[in-house]
Amino acid sequence: MQNVTEQPSAKAMPLLKRAKDNFGSLVTLIVLAALPFVVALYDGQSLSSLLANEAGSSKFVQGFVIEILILGIFALSYDLIFGITGMLSFGHAMFFAVGAYLTGIMIKSFGWSLWATLGLVLAAGVLQALLFGIVLPRVKGITFALVTLGMASVFYIVIQAREFGEYTGADVGLQGVIAPDFLNPSTQRLRFYFIVVALTVLIYLLYKRFVTSPTGRVCVAIRENEGRARMLGYNTFYFKLAALTLSSITAALAGALHTLHQPIVTPNVAAMSFTVSALLMILIGGVGTLNGALVGAAVLRLLQFGLSKYFSESASFISGAIYVAIVLFVPYGIVGTWRLKRFERQKGWENLLKLMGVGKRKE
Amino acid sequence: MPLIQSLRKNRTLWITLAVLVLLFVTAIQGMSTKDWVVTLLRSLSVGAVTFLVASGFSLIFGLLDVLNLAHGTLFMIGAYVGWTVYIRPDTFVDLLTPAAFIISGFVLGPVWKMLLDRLRLPQRVSRIWPWVGLLLAVAVLLVILPSYPVAFWNVAQYDQSPVTYGFMADQGQRIIPDAASFSGSPVLALIGLLLGGLLGTVSLAGLGRASNSGFESASGLKIPWFSIISYLALILIGLAAFLFNDSITQFLFGLDTTWLFLFAVVTATLSGAGLGAVMEITLVRPLYIRPIYQLMLTMGLSAIGIEVVRALWGRPEFVMPKPALFTGSGEGCPAETLSAWLANHCTTITVLGGRVRVYNEIVLPIIGVIVLVAVWILLQRSRLGMIIRAGVQDREMVEALGINVRRVFTMVFALGVGLAALGGALAAPSTGLSNGMGEHFLLNALIALAIGGLTSYPGAAVGSVLVGLFEQFIIKYGQIGIQLPFMAEPFKPTPPLVPASTVLLMVIILLLLPQGLFGRKE
Repeated sequence: MQNVTEQPSAKAMPLLKRAKDNFGSLVTLIVLAALPFVVALYDGQSLSSLLANEAGSSKFVQGFVIEILILGIFALSYDLIFGITGMLSFGHAMFFAVGAYLTGIMIKSFGWSLWATLGLVLAAGVLQALLFGIVLPRVKGITFALVTLGMASVFYIVIQAREFGEYTGADVGLQGVIAPDFLNPSTQRLRFYFIVVALTVLIYLLYKRFVTSPTGRVCVAIRENEGRARMLGYNTFYFKLAALTLSSITAALAGALHTLHQPIVTPNVAAMSFTVSALLMILIGGVGTLNGALVGAAVLRLLQFGLSKYFSESASFISGAIYVAIVLFVPYGIVGTWRLKRFERQKGWENLLKLMGVGKRKE
Repeated sequence: MPLIQSLRKNRTLWITLAVLVLLFVTAIQGMSTKDWVVTLLRSLSVGAVTFLVASGFSLIFGLLDVLNLAHGTLFMIGAYVGWTVYIRPDTFVDLLTPAAFIISGFVLGPVWKMLLDRLRLPQRVSRIWPWVGLLLAVAVLLVILPSYPVAFWNVAQYDQSPVTYGFMADQGQRIIPDAASFSGSPVLALIGLLLGGLLGTVSLAGLGRASNSGFESASGLKIPWFSIISYLALILIGLAAFLFNDSITQFLFGLDTTWLFLFAVVTATLSGAGLGAVMEITLVRPLYIRPIYQLMLTMGLSAIGIEVVRALWGRPEFVMPKPALFTGSGEGCPAETLSAWLANHCTTITVLGGRVRVYNEIVLPIIGVIVLVAVWILLQRSRLGMIIRAGVQDREMVEALGINVRRVFTMVFALGVGLAALGGALAAPSTGLSNGMGEHFLLNALIALAIGGLTSYPGAAVGSVLVGLFEQFIIKYGQIGIQLPFMAEPFKPTPPLVPASTVLLMVIILLLLPQGLFGRKE
């Protein structure tokens, strides 16, 4: 498919310009890479003790950022099907939970190696997408959301059932999963941290590539007007299925990481509220912006953490009020609004430079 | 021939219905008469409450395209308001004055619009003053309200908590608490409330103008008498509640509980409708152009609502006693026939050999049917109903015909939320009050609507009854067990299977009929 919007092709852009265009992402990456060391420095922890993963605020911060990134990957995968392709699904938590539970059960009850388990998780991701694919051509819009909600609720109920308690831990959740030594989140947290950061970057780049690829452009077209996309000759079903598969695999992978990182996996990761939290993340960050999903995950997790720390009793009241305020006053999300105001920002910046007498003069 | 044609056209629908009927008949065959009658009546009771939530939800979704996820919370708020009026009328009367004074500003909406249209201010000023006004109003109210005397329960103290009040009333001993008294000047407090309310609503009107000035319709020169009269009426109510506080409280406490219950239900419905109208005007209206954000807004409101309820009424569950009409006991109970029940007002009645509770299993379904018929008549036989039905079909066309759809939107939102609050107040005596009741019934209603067709009104009724039937029959079979051909022991569905079964039913029906049983094909 031809790009309708005229984008300069990637090759024509010199490296410097690309770096300038992705300034924010680069800074974020550097900050993420330096964070454990900076926190350790600030805390007065020595480098050797940091590398030996001794307890300290750096270790805590690492764990916290890992959580945010896992949530971010999950939100990213939701943004692909909701923000990019325009399918509202209320069953997305199932994708995550299947990955989480499968990893835990395979490692704990069947003693599989990590790599075999990850392979199985990927396969399960594809299977789930196919399961949703069965209903894709039949139902649309809000009905699709309800059907996916139904499937996810059945899964949610099954993992809580006492009959499978031996494997899933019933309503308490899965506990006692021993991650392999080289990835153990408590003794090898720094390594785990960098692996998760690297994975997030990889997935983010993959998603960006997907969205700019011809397939991704058709997905955007489906979001804007499915009938028109079909009229142009695209079999929209396959494109939707492709987006769904990529999203499902990613979410399952996030779930696997969650199990490796957390000592206990509760059934809540399959509940509708977890899907809703992914929705909140991308609404806070900006729907269909991709990096908005990561920003939203960070904001939401920090908000929950801060609120429950300082307002233990009424945390949920305040977060509800904040959601309402965001919806009413920051309608395009943080990243979306940031992009919208780019022009105004540039103007303001130029004015400031002019005032200081260092600005370029317009010829 | 048209019959055969319709049979052929809707083949899937008829087969699905036939399978459902078959399932139902098989389910009945496995039980004694006594058991299935009781189970059937219980399902109708659950279905009736689900219907009250689902019908409002579907009206709102059909006309406004708003998926109101706060509907369950509003249902719950209705239940708690009903409880308050029923068990603590003194709190209700104390709250009436401030509530009437603050709300009274809202009914003057058209007047504010007229006045603000005359007002020409620089853009910068007209952007800022509403915020200043709003802050001032909040400040005034924050100063006045804590000093205003309201007899209130104490969540932290067990013997003064709602749990105790509900329990004692259920035992037949009503605690009549002491009245609260003024610490400051009453006149000053009243004036403060009035001014705070007026300032707040003017600012809100200004805020609405500033944010969507493009959509204003011409208001003309007609003086909005209706809103002025209702304003005066509200002020009068507030003043009366203030002046005759003690005697009204005495009267309500002395009232027969049946009448008090009716009064509580009506109050809950009206306050639900008022809340719905305010919600629509202030929060939902700016979001019609951004549908997906309505989801987030209503979810946020739901979280806020649950927290408010937790803060005011506490986290523990408590009961709401049934009105005196349905709590008779002693000789002649359980009643065998209707006339015997009329004589003794027993709690339970015998129907075909099974004992059922009159309020839960007889009265609730009857009320459900009454509401069904009443709203049906409203939809089919009134001008408002005509506009609503037309709006569900094609909203733009109705707007193009020159009908003020916005006002109809507000009315429908108020009606829907009012129905939910009515359902809450009615369900409270049978289910008790808990923080989670809203979410449970919202899920039920969603499933019922998906089964029946999202925007179809009869579909909401059928879906609700189906959900009730599935739920109750599976619970019953969980007790007696199903004799399956290949299993030695009877299969007993465990409690978690109850929600799973209704959800599965929804998924199957949606896959067969994507629009639901009675949904409109697109």
